[in-house]
Amino acid sequence: MVTEEKRQEILGKLKNAVIQYDEDTAKETSKEALEIGVNANDAIFNGLVSGMEEVGRLFEAQEYFVPELLMCADALYAGLDILKPHVKQLDLGVKGSVVIGTVEGDVHDIGKNIVKMMFDVAGFTVYDLGRDVPLDKFVEEQLRTDSDLVCLSAMMTTTMVGMKKVIDNLKAKNPNVKIMIGGAPVSQDIAEKWGADGYAKDANNALKDAINMISSLKKLKEEAEAKKNS
Amino acid sequence: MTSRERVLKLFAGEKVDRLPCFSGMGNVTTEGLKKYGYKFAALHSNAKMMSDAAASTYRLFGFECGVVPFDLCVEAEALGCEINVYAHLEDILYPTIKKKLIHNEDEMDIVIPSDIANRGRVPLMKETIGVIKADIGNEVAIGTYVLGPFTLAGQIMELNDLLKLSFKKPDKVSKLLNTLADVIILVAKEYEKAGADYITVREMGATSDVLSPRVFKNLILPHLKKIFAELNVDSVLHICGKTNDIAAFMLESGAKAISVDQKNDIAETRKKIGKDALLFGNYDPYNILVAGTTEKVRETIRKCIDEGVSAVWPGCDIWPTVPPDNIKAMMDEVKNYRR
Ligand code: B12
Repeated sequence: MVTEEKRQEILGKLKNAVIQYDEDTAKETSKEALEIGVNANDAIFNGLVSGMEEVGRLFEAQEYFVPELLMCADALYAGLDILKPHVKQLDLGVKGSVVIGTVEGDVHDIGKNIVKMMFDVAGFTVYDLGRDVPLDKFVEEQLRTDSDLVCLSAMMTTTMVGMKKVIDNLKAKNPNVKIMIGGAPVSQDIAEKWGADGYAKDANNALKDAINMISSLKKLKEEAEAKKNS
Repeated sequence: MTSRERVLKLFAGEKVDRLPCFSGMGNVTTEGLKKYGYKFAALHSNAKMMSDAAASTYRLFGFECGVVPFDLCVEAEALGCEINVYAHLEDILYPTIKKKLIHNEDEMDIVIPSDIANRGRVPLMKETIGVIKADIGNEVAIGTYVLGPFTLAGQIMELNDLLKLSFKKPDKVSKLLNTLADVIILVAKEYEKAGADYITVREMGATSDVLSPRVFKNLILPHLKKIFAELNVDSVLHICGKTNDIAAFMLESGAKAISVDQKNDIAETRKKIGKDALLFGNYDPYNILVAGTTEKVRETIRKCIDEGVSAVWPGCDIWPTVPPDNIKAMMDEVKNYRR
């Protein structure tokens, strides 16, 4: 067993590696963590992810900007690649998978990439369709992957209307799927009007809402199954 | 005073009877498209149609300029990118880059094609500027735009990579921006020859929503300076999104005027840059001009003027679906309101 002191040192190093977007240190420290017997789950959540939370705070405070955020994410991914195979089970209370993309006609993908990053960090399986995604592609990908959640991003008022079409199609094909929408022109009002299950103004809130949605979805499923069995 | 005189005198620092109401970015409206029965997707490749559509905002509403083109892909296309104009869709979608030119870091050493002025839609743009100039050039100033080097770099390579490299390998990025600045100068010179009265450089990729003021100053500003030093006609530097912390740098670029959007605190910027600097802005072209009531439009225009803009000018492209009553209310307010 590693001493508490050593464990804290490793976690601190991982956290700082992410904050200082230092991919090499993130890699080396992750290896070191495994060698000396720090639990991989612990290293991920109390090291890497805790660093990313601080990065989120720095971004909100405008000390960090998008490039820093992207580089911090790279450091985080570098550590995750090493630690993930050693995790017995990533347990966040929920395990979800999500399809995400920016809708057709819209190339604004900076915000979408940040939201995607948050899902990666939290251990979701993410199917990223990229930007300028033909509307039907969202439906196809959801059906193909049986994902719990579909996230749509749009940064323009003209492309935003494409979301409504996707929502209608998805709900027609699969009433259980949860849909979350976002991007600068989108609002809670619009989300409600168009029948989306969620809206979030930024990536942190997106993740919180997604976890709630998926938990409630899982509960519903369990209840339905319990009923069937009784 | 004609609209043309008003705009040109403003740029020259001379006295004008009132603030002009114009733009350096796209301002086509669905009303204009209806007038001619044109489809948006068809405008981008036809000089007559592009010119008609651009001039229609002046013809219908008295908006005080004629600006072409409507998309941000001209320079990237001339460099070899493929674009998508969404001809198969009925909705108004803006053209995008379909195929990038640079796919990884090793491909960043690009060479400017010697015939850049004859590639892609550059010749079409020259023709279009000639057509619109002949059409309404006696009445209003004719504007066009180019991208800033960083925004252009984001069109020809993956933006995520560009952003990260701006930190990891600033020298490499600077070299690319330097080359792209040359491309922009070459294209802008062609537009000058074709008769453009003023040119806006759109560097929205470098907004403080994305990039820190420090990186803007160190990495991007030097290349903007080079561009503005070469331009002979009146010039504007436009950046949308957060700009409060870079407004002074924007002016330092050498642009005759700077243009900002609704996220800028105009009163604060005015204080920073002094009373004579030309500051254009900053009503929200969608949430106010399209989605607002006429009263809200009037109120916003008064606020812009009160806070100290030098011209009433939108934060970005005018959104085509603008209700005619709103744009009329805007023009009316600019004409009649006095600070
Ligand atoms: C950078 C930029 C560009 C770049 C985009 C590069 C890229 N790869 O993304 C380039 C130069 C290519 C560009 C092009 C255009 N642009 Co532009 N652009 C911007 C700009 C300056 C910044 C956007 C940005 O990245 N913000 C930073 C990120 C971090 O914020 P965000 O996207 O809002 O994301 C956060 C939240 O919204 C949320 N979120 C985002 N997605 C999702 C999804 C879900 C599910 C959830 C829950 C949350 C969520 O979380 C994110 C993180 O916190 C904005 C102005 C602005 N300041 O917003 C204009 C802006 C979006 N563009 C605009 C326009 C008009 C255009 C063009 C049409 C111009 C033209 N004439 O061609 C073209 C569009 C071409 C096309 N068809 O797509 C307008 C849109 C106006 C409108 N009415 O809709 C804007 C608003 C400018 C303005 N002031 O009017 N643009």
